[in-house]
Amino acid sequence: MSRAGARDSGTALLFLSPLFVLVVGLIVYPFCRAIWLSFTDKLVGYPERFVGLRNYLYLLQDDGFHAVVRNSLVFTVASVGLKVLTGLAMALVLSVTWRWRNFFRGLFLLPWITSTVIIALTWRWMFDSFPGRGFFNSVLMDLGLLRSPMALMATAEGAMFAVVVANWWRGFPFFGVSYLAAMQSIPLELYEAASIDGASLWRRFWHVTLPGVKHVVIVTVLLSFIWTINDFNIVYVMTRGGPGTATQVFATYSYEVAFNQLRWARGVTVSIFLVPLLVAGIALLSRYLLRQENA
Amino acid sequence: MTAARAFAVVGLVAFALVVLVPFWWIANMSFKTYEQVQFATSIYVPRPFTWANYTALWLDTRFPLWLRNSLVTAVAVTALTTVMASLGGYAIARLRFPGRGFVASLILVLYLVPPALLFIPLYRVLAELGATNTLASLILSYPTFTVPFCTWLLIGFFKALPHELEEAALVDGAGRTAALVRVLLPLAAPGIVASAIFAFTLSWNEFLYALVFIQDETALTVPVGLNLLIYGDVFSWGQLMAASVITTVPVVALYVFIQRWMVEGLAAGSVKG
Repeated sequence: MSRAGARDSGTALLFLSPLFVLVVGLIVYPFCRAIWLSFTDKLVGYPERFVGLRNYLYLLQDDGFHAVVRNSLVFTVASVGLKVLTGLAMALVLSVTWRWRNFFRGLFLLPWITSTVIIALTWRWMFDSFPGRGFFNSVLMDLGLLRSPMALMATAEGAMFAVVVANWWRGFPFFGVSYLAAMQSIPLELYEAASIDGASLWRRFWHVTLPGVKHVVIVTVLLSFIWTINDFNIVYVMTRGGPGTATQVFATYSYEVAFNQLRWARGVTVSIFLVPLLVAGIALLSRYLLRQENA
Repeated sequence: MTAARAFAVVGLVAFALVVLVPFWWIANMSFKTYEQVQFATSIYVPRPFTWANYTALWLDTRFPLWLRNSLVTAVAVTALTTVMASLGGYAIARLRFPGRGFVASLILVLYLVPPALLFIPLYRVLAELGATNTLASLILSYPTFTVPFCTWLLIGFFKALPHELEEAALVDGAGRTAALVRVLLPLAAPGIVASAIFAFTLSWNEFLYALVFIQDETALTVPVGLNLLIYGDVFSWGQLMAASVITTVPVVALYVFIQRWMVEGLAAGSVKG
């Protein structure tokens, strides 16, 4: 190695050392502890004993956990699907906006920078069953569309709908901004060529715009899938997983088992179940992101 | 007006409503008295308008303390993150060393690891360090998500800077550190400011770790304090709404100030199409 190269390595080691300490001490080490804990019977206040796969086998037969898997999938697929559709709509609207585009882009991004606790709180009130507090009940009753207030969040489907809406509202601006950036990098000549060939607006969208944003759509879907299936804040603040277990998802269930039932080992195991899915998602996503990084 | 313009106008109005109505609903409620809400007397606009919730929030609750805790945490985390992410981002983007590709991938993977996976074991580690129930637990744990994210952003920024300037400084006999501090840092300032604001916002809004690691009411941050207000026995809706408004305003202000950089940072760092 050349002298400059050796000097670079020394500097790199120096510059990266704080990062290594952080990563090893507070991410890798706790992660390994989590794996170990999932093979024990750790209860708060008692020493742990190795129990092999007992936690995993228990959860596989636990009706509560089955509900968690179902709820998490419904919650994630519905939110991410909505985010893709509205994100595309937002990007299309902004791409044909002829004035103040940056202003509107900034305005539409506001939900994305707002605290998720406040968002959850806000949507709790939007859906509240009491007219003076709940926006939708107030409006629907004033319009005469509703005779008496509707307690949406008291029903299983309604509560799921409410948490999906709150999660969607927070996430769609990120999708919209990403798609807009991708749309703006599609060469204009492609649209012109399509116009000359007599392609309709719809066909231009289908054959030029969509292929142009496909890559970014895949990246945002993977990214959002990973974040949404692990969401804690919105569900916890809005419903605490209820009514019953209707909106209990992985993170809230893990918290419930670990901190309310004080069964730490089982609580950790709940989230470990997601690891294979996460590894697959992260591997796919890294390939997409690193490929463009090196391109 | 062409079809495209009509589409744009309808779309802009629709999205503006979707975004603004929830904010307006909260702000609206924060300026009403308990009775106005309870008896639904002035639903869409606060009439009469009152600041009572804000004064009550400030004088009768621990909100000022929570705000201070959030601020101390966010500032400390931002400072730590900025130093670590700038050094790390520079090293990965600009230095040649064995294993560079691996380190870059590692940063990306860590950025994607969800906090929901780590909160229980992290709690144990912090408890063994004696850090739970203090802001130190947050200042130590928040960098686990801010640093990978900001490093990833800054790798992109440092890569985009021209190589010639740095090489000129090196030829002139400056060391790597001097080249970084005097030549590259000023050029990367927009990226560093953007990443600092991201770190601040992430820390300011964080909920799960703060909920788990801190029980002492005097050491709570705003999001957890708000959660207490929601499920408290006193129905202090107005105060809750006022607290939401106060908490959202600084982030929005910061964000308006650097919106352009932030959006560019997003586009450059995470989803460059």
